[in-house]
Amino acid sequence: MSIEPITGRYLTVTVEGAPRRIYFEEAGQGRPVLCLHTAGADTRQWRHLMNDEGITANNRMIAFDLPWHGKSLPPEGFETEEYLLTTEAYIETVLAVIEGLGLNRPVLAGCSMGGRIALQLAALHPDKFSGFIAIEASDFQPAWYDIDWFHRPDAHGGEMGAALVSANISPYAPNAERWNTLWMFMQSGPGVFRGDLSFYTKDDSLIARLGDIDTVKTPVHLIVGAYDLTCTPEDAKRTADAIDGATLAVMDELGHFPMSEHPVGFRPFFVDALKRMPEADAP
Amino acid sequence: MPWAVLRNTRIGMAVKPALMAPQCQGYEEESQMIETFHTMQAKLEATPHLLRLGRLFSETVLIQVGSDEIYLTFEKGHLTQVTEGPSRKTPWRFALRTDAEALAQFWQPLPAPGFHDIFGLLKIGRGTIDGDILCLVKNLRFFKEFMALPRAEREDAA
Repeated sequence: MSIEPITGRYLTVTVEGAPRRIYFEEAGQGRPVLCLHTAGADTRQWRHLMNDEGITANNRMIAFDLPWHGKSLPPEGFETEEYLLTTEAYIETVLAVIEGLGLNRPVLAGCSMGGRIALQLAALHPDKFSGFIAIEASDFQPAWYDIDWFHRPDAHGGEMGAALVSANISPYAPNAERWNTLWMFMQSGPGVFRGDLSFYTKDDSLIARLGDIDTVKTPVHLIVGAYDLTCTPEDAKRTADAIDGATLAVMDELGHFPMSEHPVGFRPFFVDALKRMPEADAP
Repeated sequence: MPWAVLRNTRIGMAVKPALMAPQCQGYEEESQMIETFHTMQAKLEATPHLLRLGRLFSETVLIQVGSDEIYLTFEKGHLTQVTEGPSRKTPWRFALRTDAEALAQFWQPLPAPGFHDIFGLLKIGRGTIDGDILCLVKNLRFFKEFMALPRAEREDAA
């Protein structure tokens, strides 16, 4: 029997003029590190790092489910709404969570679309953060697939989405964690993965903003897995090259969901990234 | 390909392959490839969860390896026929086209990046998929796990 140190609570904030009941988890103490999950998934992707005493001894790890994801409900009236995530709504949500939780310039760690929005925030709201860890993140990724595949009445979008994203998981990933990672996609609500992909594959506004990022004030470290077909090492390098002072680490044996698919393999890269971030501000 | 060997194997029926003399290079390699798909046919029958996943999948799939064509006919998740082409008379739902060397790498226990998934083959320019892609996507887990059946069991990387 064991009980994990992770605790979960709910926070209600206003996003796009309406309340959002947001589920968040945290573990540890010290420097706040806010963690963003990938498209079509939820906070569980971060559970290994949040249960890691070597990390939580000096870092207050916090992760939340975006509205429509995990245990965060969609907004009232969702039943007639087409979910399409936007850069603006995503940014507003992250900033509302920071304010709601009273976080003082956290490190922002995001994976995939979470990494994308981390770089957007590095360009647009650097004063709110102390540094950025952008995992499997790039400037822009057009879709090679039809995102409408993942929301249709004659097939299970979650199962199709899981089968598709399995292409981004490294063969080195332990089998149990491979399937735990895919399970989140299978559980994703109808149309949610599609709505996330709409943001991820259609909004290219970050490209023009990369040059605005000031890594002297807020360091930016990118991490990418060699088995990531969606954000390849070449995509991450192109993105890092466009940010003056950004650093990049390539993980030879990992894929698109490193903290979830292979937590042991990812740990040293995340620890290294944390070392590159500033220490906590004085309270 | 006048030397082509046609083998239609029905589940539960032992069909002896036609014996034809090889008349050009590549016969052995092609024969091995067809053998591989027959081995996959047997492995599929011994993999209950895949049969369950494929229970609604009754389609013919074209696998093109180099210039060689192999038609896989599935009925309710069972691979009922492995037919060597080419054939202009065999309709197929979708096709995966690659080369023998790429497929050999795909079947390694720990493939290099790009060779680890059929979509990876596309990404690195070693494969194409055409036809009814939506049909493939609806049955993607089944088809991907079927294609990976020859991949040797690996040590758990944990």
